[in-house]
Amino acid sequence: MSQPQLRQEFSRRAEAVSAVVKTVESLEDAFAQAARLTREQGGACLAAPGWEPGELAALQAACEREGLELITQGLRERAGQFHTGLTRAQWGVAETGTIVVDSASEDLRLATMLAEMHVAVLPAANLRADLFALEDEVNRTLGRAPGYLAFISGPSRTGDIELVLTLGAHGPRQLHILLLEESS
Amino acid sequence: MSRASRREYHQRLKEALDNRFLGQTLARFQGNYRGSREAGFAGMDFPALAAEVGAAKDAALGRLEELYEQFKAQAEAAGAQVHLAADAAHAREIIADIAAQTGSRRIVKSKSMTSEEIHLNRHLEAQGLQVTETDLGEWIIQLRGEGPSHMVAPAIHLSRSQVAELFTQVTGQKQDPEDIAALVEVARSRLRRAMLEADMGISGANFALASTGTIATVTNEGNARLVTTLPRVHVALVGLEKLVPDLNTALKILRLLPRSATGQLISTYVTWITGAVECAAAGGRKDLHIVFLDNGRLALSQDPVFSQALRCVRCGSCANVCPIFGKVGGHTYGHVYIGAIGLILTYFYHGREAARELVKNCLNCQACKVNCPAGIDLPGLIKKTAGLVMAEQGRPLKNQLMRRVLTNRPLFHFLLRRAYLAQKPLARGGRLIRHLPLFFAPDQEFRSLPVVAAEPLRDRWQRLAPRVSNPRLKVALFGGCLTDFVYPEQGEAMLKLLAGRDIQVDYPLGQSCCGLPAAMASEEETAREVARQNLAALEAEHYDYVLTLCASCASHLKHYPRLLADDPAWTQRAEHMAAKVIDLASFLQKEVGLEPVAGRGAKAAYHAPCHLCRGLGVHQAPRQLLQGAGYDYRPYEDEEVCCGFGGSYSLDFPELSAAILERKLKQVTATGAELLVTDCPGCVLQLEGGLDHRGSPIRVRHLAQALAEAQGK
Repeated sequence: MSQPQLRQEFSRRAEAVSAVVKTVESLEDAFAQAARLTREQGGACLAAPGWEPGELAALQAACEREGLELITQGLRERAGQFHTGLTRAQWGVAETGTIVVDSASEDLRLATMLAEMHVAVLPAANLRADLFALEDEVNRTLGRAPGYLAFISGPSRTGDIELVLTLGAHGPRQLHILLLEESS
Repeated sequence: MSRASRREYHQRLKEALDNRFLGQTLARFQGNYRGSREAGFAGMDFPALAAEVGAAKDAALGRLEELYEQFKAQAEAAGAQVHLAADAAHAREIIADIAAQTGSRRIVKSKSMTSEEIHLNRHLEAQGLQVTETDLGEWIIQLRGEGPSHMVAPAIHLSRSQVAELFTQVTGQKQDPEDIAALVEVARSRLRRAMLEADMGISGANFALASTGTIATVTNEGNARLVTTLPRVHVALVGLEKLVPDLNTALKILRLLPRSATGQLISTYVTWITGAVECAAAGGRKDLHIVFLDNGRLALSQDPVFSQALRCVRCGSCANVCPIFGKVGGHTYGHVYIGAIGLILTYFYHGREAARELVKNCLNCQACKVNCPAGIDLPGLIKKTAGLVMAEQGRPLKNQLMRRVLTNRPLFHFLLRRAYLAQKPLARGGRLIRHLPLFFAPDQEFRSLPVVAAEPLRDRWQRLAPRVSNPRLKVALFGGCLTDFVYPEQGEAMLKLLAGRDIQVDYPLGQSCCGLPAAMASEEETAREVARQNLAALEAEHYDYVLTLCASCASHLKHYPRLLADDPAWTQRAEHMAAKVIDLASFLQKEVGLEPVAGRGAKAAYHAPCHLCRGLGVHQAPRQLLQGAGYDYRPYEDEEVCCGFGGSYSLDFPELSAAILERKLKQVTATGAELLVTDCPGCVLQLEGGLDHRGSPIRVRHLAQALAEAQGK
């Protein structure tokens, strides 16, 4: 599959499982969108573990613009208080609309599990056709113990009451994937 | 004792059949599943992928101990502690000890069938520990004090009203049954608190990767992620058969597991945990314990026949496509493990008493087998499991009689001829018996029964058989008991279709019952003996084809090589014969090519016999022939679902046979068909009997008759 085909298939599949996929031109753009979404939904706090110190300044600025508190660690103590978890995703899988998130860090796990909304920034260049095309990368990650690797396809869901599909059973109620088209 | 438990089981079946909500929910569930699954596998070669998974699992099962050692070394190097529990009691003890040593009092669990297998909650609660299930369905049934009724959807037997009522009690606030999102919200907030406060999380695992010591969970709700992240202690309880060598094997299974479970391309969360990960609540690293459960698995993995059962990846598809599950649900169609695989595993994990009645409850319709992502021969293993149960408790009288009668063809056929005389007064001159004396066959009133023919096909043969001087094809007809003794007119219709086409058709008179009823009754030795007699009688080496009018006979004749695999004197002969077996529709398409009939004929619906569509893989030929013969073919949804006959099944489980038949006939009637066509005399018996019983004007015809009638023959 060509890059545009991968992107198209990934978006189609991710949206089929109730994720929202958007393209962003830069990290700044991604941060701005995450902060704006949080404010629009009435959130007051954004949890963003795992970002480089150099990237955090732009995120801090975006949060300030929207009047949000930014937290990057100690998420366990803040359970229930952050609306958004903003993380990176390492890879994307077109066949299933899946994002692959290295979640070895506890804070990163908590951000993707306890938030009402998970926003993941995924470099478009890291899309692959299917899971088998990622086998080597995943194997390398599993070999770096201890580790916690997550394949995430859409927001948390259940059909346990009369098979009625309901989103947000335990994890985030929404998943936004920001496909990063960086020229650099 | 045995009679009492039989009565009790049938009483439970009756209660389930009387539960209207359950019936409607299960019908909707199975209907939706069929569509979702089909979409999920679109464009994929399912049989090839399932065979690949089956082979990969078999390879792993062949070296479980080695994989366990490798896993243990890897996981312990990554900071986990790995335990091996010999049986259920041992596993419960290990987990209770971990709770004691870590000072854990509050436990949260994500769904694990393995923990259900060992009744873990009961034991932990008896130790004074507080255990909370966090999967929504599991939490609901835990609050109700029930077990799961489906391996993937544990609370599928409950209505929204029941859940709302339950949650009203739990919260002390009135809950609206129509607001399912609000009900889910109750669980979300309650369980979130439980997970934040818990000391220990217990999960299962879908895979254990020996190469890296990784365990993986596959879930939709995300509770397993929270259960493995928030508490300071994590215990993973894993059946030994979940060990796979590496990621590649796991990915192969993962490609099929969610598609088979729900039709999803992948489940929402697939989580791979390697070692003791960061955990602030534990003061640094998580206290991770991985408890492998043997409980008979190692021994089973070495069994040449039953090791296949350990291929199971717990997708639940064998329940999703089972017509019996679709009528009664998992509380009566399973013990802890549910569906076809449950019938087998119950015997091995929970013993003979739990399995005794359950294991008989299989139609052998093959729906589970063709849908199994690990290619498990579920109906075959169920019959073999029933054989084990029977061997332990003694063969029932009817099995002993069957052996004596079926292996003695002259005696068997003598009895069939006598049956004609015995039935005569009951039939009152008609073709069907509407009321049997009740002592003879209780609960058989849901269908009329056919009368044994005055003159069987074999006696008519000399008169009817075509004389072909220079045949281009030589065909041996395998009649089967029903065509021969009950429906000789089906054989006559077939001869009309083949007349004048230079085809010689012989009826080797030494042939007897194909032996399927014996196999269905787990009388394997009888089935083998009958198979050898038929092989000798058919002398297939003299023929181009062995033609059948009965899909069940055909599929069983094709099974002879496996049946006689341990009998080298016969295996090859069986293989040669099996290769020549063909059903009527395929034969007509391949060798005859009937002339098309113009015009709009009668409106005809088709019933696909299990052993034709799944046993022989014949799907389109009969439908094409019907259309070619000018019939106005009327399709309906459940065309390829069993009619509920299943041979002696309909005698042993008349309540279920009737319920399954009812659903089929409703759909057929709704098509407006005047004619219901099928190509198996067993199905004809069931369908015709059911339609006659309800006074329906729809006529039932064997394909041979429908085609001959259309040709004006």
